Amino acid sequence: MTASLTPLDGEAGFRFDPERTVGRGPADRLRSFRTAVVLGWKMEANWTDPVLFFIYSVAKPVSAALILVVMLDVIAGASGHDYRGYVVVGSALWSFVMSGIAGLAWSVLDDRERYRMLKYVYVSPSDLVTVLLGRGTARIAVGAMGAAITLVVGVVVMGVSFDLLAVDWPVLLAVMVLGLAAIVAVGLILAAICLQTRQESWSYPEAVAGALFLVSGAVFPLSVLPSAVQAIGLANPMTWWLAGVRLALFPGGTSSIGGPGSLFTNLTGAAAPDSPTILVALLVTGAVVTLGAAVVFRWSERRAKDRGLIDQTTGS
Amino acid sequence: MTTRAFIGRPTASPREAADWSRRRILANNLRSVVGRAYPRVRGMAREPSWLFFEILLPFLTTSSFVFVYRALQAPQEYVGFVVLGGAMTAFWLNVVWMMAAQLYWEKDQGNLELYFAAPMDVMSVLFGMAIGGLVMSATRAAVVLVVASLVYGVQFSVDQWGLLVTVFVLALAAMYGLGMVLASLFLMWGREAWHLTHVLAEPVYFVSGLNFPVAALGRLGALALATIPLATGLDAMRQLAFAGHLGPAPFLPPLAEAGILVAMTGIFLVLARFMLRALERRARQEGRLTVRWR
Amino acid sequence: MSGSITAPAIDARGIRRVYSAKPAPITALAGVDLEVQPGELFGLLGPNGAGKTTLIKILTTLLLPSAGTARVFGFDIEHETKQIRRIMNMVAGGEQSGYGILTVREQLWMFSQFYGLATREGWTRVDELIDAVGLDEQRLQRVSSLSTGQRQKMNFARGLLNDPWILFLDEPTLGLDVSAARSVRELVVGWKAAVPGRTVLLTTHYMAEADELCERIAIVDRGRVLAIGTPAELKQRVQRESIFRIELDRLVGGPTALARLPGVVSATAATAAQAGGTTGDPRQTVEVNLVLVEDAALGGVVGALGGLGARILALRKSEPTLEEVFVELVGRGFDDSEETAAHALHPSEAEPDHDREHQEVG
Repeated sequence: MTASLTPLDGEAGFRFDPERTVGRGPADRLRSFRTAVVLGWKMEANWTDPVLFFIYSVAKPVSAALILVVMLDVIAGASGHDYRGYVVVGSALWSFVMSGIAGLAWSVLDDRERYRMLKYVYVSPSDLVTVLLGRGTARIAVGAMGAAITLVVGVVVMGVSFDLLAVDWPVLLAVMVLGLAAIVAVGLILAAICLQTRQESWSYPEAVAGALFLVSGAVFPLSVLPSAVQAIGLANPMTWWLAGVRLALFPGGTSSIGGPGSLFTNLTGAAAPDSPTILVALLVTGAVVTLGAAVVFRWSERRAKDRGLIDQTTGS
Repeated sequence: MTTRAFIGRPTASPREAADWSRRRILANNLRSVVGRAYPRVRGMAREPSWLFFEILLPFLTTSSFVFVYRALQAPQEYVGFVVLGGAMTAFWLNVVWMMAAQLYWEKDQGNLELYFAAPMDVMSVLFGMAIGGLVMSATRAAVVLVVASLVYGVQFSVDQWGLLVTVFVLALAAMYGLGMVLASLFLMWGREAWHLTHVLAEPVYFVSGLNFPVAALGRLGALALATIPLATGLDAMRQLAFAGHLGPAPFLPPLAEAGILVAMTGIFLVLARFMLRALERRARQEGRLTVRWR
Repeated sequence: MSGSITAPAIDARGIRRVYSAKPAPITALAGVDLEVQPGELFGLLGPNGAGKTTLIKILTTLLLPSAGTARVFGFDIEHETKQIRRIMNMVAGGEQSGYGILTVREQLWMFSQFYGLATREGWTRVDELIDAVGLDEQRLQRVSSLSTGQRQKMNFARGLLNDPWILFLDEPTLGLDVSAARSVRELVVGWKAAVPGRTVLLTTHYMAEADELCERIAIVDRGRVLAIGTPAELKQRVQRESIFRIELDRLVGGPTALARLPGVVSATAATAAQAGGTTGDPRQTVEVNLVLVEDAALGGVVGALGGLGARILALRKSEPTLEEVFVELVGRGFDDSEETAAHALHPSEAEPDHDREHQEVG
């Protein structure tokens, strides 16, 4: 830093160097992101010992899956075994969606209300979105771990059929990358909303995830819903992501999108979407949501600046 | 400067000022309940986004489980189970989020030390928080019950309205008693409180039979009936709201479960009083009342 | 009214407080004895980390001491907390408590309920106090939009809601600008003066504030009380003589003419040019630094000056600051103390130092 300060001739003091206001673009963003990831991980993981942390990370998604399994057993008994795989996979993957959606929103609330650091992050040269993405990464990682373990429990304990050799890895990778971007975009929209609302917004991410749960084909095929609601589901990138992961991990299983009576089948004539269809649909819907997230977040940020919301605390 | 404001209502001596009658203590605690409920109710009126996020969206979550049963072509009574479970979820969340974790959050904001330095009982403050949140919870429960019943065609068959209402009130009382017990524990557990609040959602929903009769869980369900007021209240209310339902035979009749709720209420309230005092003392010893992020 | 109060407002004996921390326990208070009488405005003056806030938290029943006893108006801080909470209140500097979504009026009313005021009485009292502290224009403004000074005035109003017999103020002007700080100090003095017997315990690290407000001050450092006395008594520890700066129209014979007078320790010219008593410029005055044995000797000097034909134009007494008192007691300044305050004291260092027990002055 001192290399950029030039003493004035014959005087003590330094000349301001405009070079200091020029950032290093992607390198700066990467550094901010990395730092935010480390910070987010420390905040997520250091509140208890590793064993309890593991239990905490796994209890929620496993319980959610068990609720559905018991519902199934109460009604269908042994004949519902095939459907069991469907609900367990959907429930496990939904915990990942939940963590992705909540990660960014809770970072805003945490930093604004509890740690009162949001204003300092905001006035630093780091981009707020980059920092929020980094902070949310830790929660997403925890969610991914919980989802993976729930799937393992589902296979080992709940009798879900799984063939590792049948997994379509290229499709899985592509779907995960596109799906993650879409999930984070929804999280960014929620973070934008939380910038405007008060402290009790902690529950909003779960509420939104719960609503999306209805129209994503997570635990029941979309064909069960009325056509108008199915249309909303088809415009939802989570729907395509879930279908893509299911197709990649459990090829030949029940489709959440197609099937008799489904809007997709009625429109396209196909029994279920194939992987190219899923990837294209996920790309398009994800791009729309991502674009929407960028617009909404910038609008929210501007409004927050205008109304002095960035450094407010709003307890009740 | 208005000197009259500074004079106030002085007493003859500190001894006289400190000597409160039981009636005055009770009045102080009751007023504190109202005082603490006030910001919660006011906050809801000033920022109405909760109508969307706390009412409409959770209704959609409940609808998800309705459609699971429809996908399974379950009997209509099971849709009723889900609707009733969704309504009671609102109160459970009020207990866990707006009571159990609240003292920890108040410490974060710097209010906790002001509460403990004031003469009222901290239980009054917790009760006020719960009452304040009750408006939101009751609205959510009503929306889920009424709208879901209309939209999904749920038919209630209630033979004993009096017992149903009594069980509901007892379930609330027992849940709030549990909330007070948890509040004192969470105060000591610090940051873990925030995360434990999450852990108390789905696992409790599962063992309480939020979307299915708890009898389906066998011994685990029986244990839940004996320990978790949400499970007990929900099972009793289901039996009363859907008299003659299908499904696994319940463990106990509603009247017996009402008795369990009475016992739970008494135990939890006494335990809460004892624990709040013991943990306040421990918090004063360890300096936890005023240190943030612990 | 104060005649019916027999117990001291604060009676603390041997108060110790050790916090468990890593890597080693921190001794915040290492044996504090303190007695504050009813009706006093008593100050705890010391650098950050001296233990002032810890002591206040113990006296306001938020923290238990590791050892020792303390009573507030005769009520034990450990076993009679409810009684103490009914007769005291506390206000801290930099306080951000409360609920941002409420207005000033609502926030104060909420607290009035915690102190047992009836609903209508609460609103009336709140309105009176809002006027008294000068927040009339912010009455219906949300707490989250208040400035720092306004917020502190609101906190102060909260502290007065229950007409406390003892008010604990923990750095009440922290972070406030000059005007806001002065307002708060005036409020403190005005409130205390309104009813005899009211007591205030004020902690601060602003020496001028302690000097201005407090009737008695305890200087604290590293968990110990080093000295207690009135501001004048404490300053006398450092400066046993009386020092004056006197401005004259002229002085025949120079300062040495004064040095021979009874009670005068030394008399020196303020500048070298004036050493001879005149500067040769009829418009310029002569300034002399006078060191006297005591204030009473000044009378003789003034009389002698008249005999020398000198006219006194200005007379000013030089007093040491409380920081100089602190340096005298501790051997380092406030800034140096704050640098070392973060270091944890090991248990071996936490034993009371009997050679350095506090001394009553005067």
